[in-house]
Amino acid sequence: MADHAVNRRKFLRTTGVGAVAAGLGANIIVPGRASAQRKRLRILQWVHFVPAYDEWFNKKYAVEWGQKNDTEVTVDNIGIAGINPRAAAEISAQKGHDLFLFNWPPPSFEEQTVDLKDVYQEVEKTAGKPIDLGVKSTYNPKTKKYYAFSPSFTPDPVNYRQDLFGQVGLPNGPKTWDEVRTAGARIKKQFNRPIGVGLANEIDTGMAMRTVMYAFGAHEQDEGGNLTLNSKQTLEAIKFVKALFQEAMTPEVFTWDASSNNRAMIADKISLALNAISITRTAEKQDPEISKKIQLTKALRGPARAIGLEHVMQCYVVWKFAENIDGAKKFLVDYTTNFRDAFVAGEFYDFPCFPKTVPDLGKLIANDRNAHPADKYKVLDDVLDWATNVGYPGYANAAIDEIFSTWVLNVMFAKAASGSASPEEALKEADTACKRIFAKWKEKGLV
Amino acid sequence: MSDSTVRAEPRPGAVADRARGSRLGFLLDEPRWLSVLMIGPAVLYIVLIVGFPFVLAILYAFSDVTVGSRSLDFVGLRNFTSVLATSKFQTALKNTFIFAIVSQILVMVLATILAIALTREFRGKWVVRLLLLFPWVAPISLGTIGWLWILDSTYSVINWTLEALGLIGPGDWFMWLGVPRLAMGSVITVHVWRILPLATVILLAGLTSIPHDIHDAAQVDGAGFWRHLFQVTVPLIRPIMLVAGLFGLVFAFTDMIVIFVLTRGGPYDTTQVLASLAFFTGIQGGDLAEGAAVALFLFPLLVAVAIGFLRAARRTEVT
Repeated sequence: MADHAVNRRKFLRTTGVGAVAAGLGANIIVPGRASAQRKRLRILQWVHFVPAYDEWFNKKYAVEWGQKNDTEVTVDNIGIAGINPRAAAEISAQKGHDLFLFNWPPPSFEEQTVDLKDVYQEVEKTAGKPIDLGVKSTYNPKTKKYYAFSPSFTPDPVNYRQDLFGQVGLPNGPKTWDEVRTAGARIKKQFNRPIGVGLANEIDTGMAMRTVMYAFGAHEQDEGGNLTLNSKQTLEAIKFVKALFQEAMTPEVFTWDASSNNRAMIADKISLALNAISITRTAEKQDPEISKKIQLTKALRGPARAIGLEHVMQCYVVWKFAENIDGAKKFLVDYTTNFRDAFVAGEFYDFPCFPKTVPDLGKLIANDRNAHPADKYKVLDDVLDWATNVGYPGYANAAIDEIFSTWVLNVMFAKAASGSASPEEALKEADTACKRIFAKWKEKGLV
Repeated sequence: MSDSTVRAEPRPGAVADRARGSRLGFLLDEPRWLSVLMIGPAVLYIVLIVGFPFVLAILYAFSDVTVGSRSLDFVGLRNFTSVLATSKFQTALKNTFIFAIVSQILVMVLATILAIALTREFRGKWVVRLLLLFPWVAPISLGTIGWLWILDSTYSVINWTLEALGLIGPGDWFMWLGVPRLAMGSVITVHVWRILPLATVILLAGLTSIPHDIHDAAQVDGAGFWRHLFQVTVPLIRPIMLVAGLFGLVFAFTDMIVIFVLTRGGPYDTTQVLASLAFFTGIQGGDLAEGAAVALFLFPLLVAVAIGFLRAARRTEVT
């Protein structure tokens, strides 16, 4: 009996040995861990909105590329909300993935990234020049560095209810912001379907409010990166959004997160939203009837121009501490020059930053078997001409990034629209915040 | 192959090994050293997981570090003075106090009621206790996402029920997260829902530790419910109430999950608190130094509150 009794000494010894064995065991049993000679490429990117894209990228493209290049490719997908925290953690540890995808320009990470000028040059040899939007989202003119590389972006068209707009005399949807305001007010009154442009602390609102600003000739900065928020045009844009809210919207838009406008549109609750084609794609799968009623139109015209923003900007970075920098660059070149497959796999969600990589883009989107009608997405055939970057007409720099991430402009518009501040007060407060942010990043040498 | 058939000579050094083994055995048998050995991993864990990041945050707050840089240049109090003057920070500071204090008052009142109810005997008491713990054991983010749906502008089950009961019309839905006061009320409610189980369990432990003869004596002396509660029960559990209050207050001052999931500080920053502002500035916005300064701003106050609470708890300790 004494032999079987577990005393304190025996217990600690046994558990201690067990713990050590467990720690070492994997290395002893799986020799590959200790003697991996094959090259490895580790990629981190978001869980794509279109599941079929992840299926294609993870299980087909990455695997085949790995076989061709004698490289073991692993792809980790994380939720979009985890991207920045994960990047910060990798930098802190100086360890992580070789290729890291941000869904927006990441200028504040510049010091940790490899200059990808050579990737741009290599791709340009076969795919021609990139669009301005791609360059302005990945290049810092101050430091003359390509801190990221953008193979693609997601357009942000206008999704509208054709049946409702048709009943107020606009069967092809609104073409101007003024039409959205007047027709939206009538639709709200007659059919109880308000306009659904967000006014909350979330990215869709950030994009939509900038779209209005740029259409009104207002900007956060000029081409040279100088703050220009405090202008007559910005004030006009704020007054317009206030009127739009009062006449054609409801306080619902203050509550929204990034997916709320999708849900509201598909649930037949709103008449118009600015979003990627995620609304129509989801509707095609979940509710084909409503899908037939939701159509797309191009960027809306304001007093200054018709312009739209990117909805998601795919920006890959290669960390300076990455273990396979050459492999990561080669992957980017190959992926981008073969972007047509990605375009099709992603159901046209991501458009190319190098137009020549999808030469038959117009033909593809003009005849989609899931769309109602089949040429629903044809309106996007010239999106490369009217989509622009956050920070237009300048570059997406670190100050612009912080202004976007801390919702400075979202709050400015929302305060004025709700009446908790006058347009002038809201602008003054936002301008003060932006001045401080710009001064801070200029001092840090990134703007 | 058994010991009886094969007797090998002890290898050189085996005796020394045995001596070392017995020394180790002595350490394991000695309570003084064993306690150090047992508590060591916990201390190490706290130092690595809490202490190291905390020291790092202090360093960051006095530096010009960004999320993309690793150099730390000392800038003194600049991050604090820079952010202090901003309206965003002032709003967040005010909201933090409202959020923490209101939620904590509600938690203490409700936890006391619940704990007293749970000391009574009734059918299905264990089920109630189990249900009560669910908000605490469920992952915070999952629970809060559940609330996000409950308070959603399109699918709110509360609004749907109110409409089904004829209390509101189709166009009169409450925008729980879209009107400043409703939004603050909503985030406070969800936070109370989440913290209530912990406070209740702590208070329940305090209540069950009161000797029964004290209650009997109060009853014999003719004390009614309220007198019994405020002159017997509450004074006896005051130390533990202070501990529960301290935990809750620290949670409320430093946590951002509920606000991050439900409102991200909206509508127009009316639910922005220091913890969420620190995240948006430091991690999303890239200015790690300023984010750290925002996060640490309340640290001296929280230390003072903690010391005050613990001293009060010691003074009121029943011996």
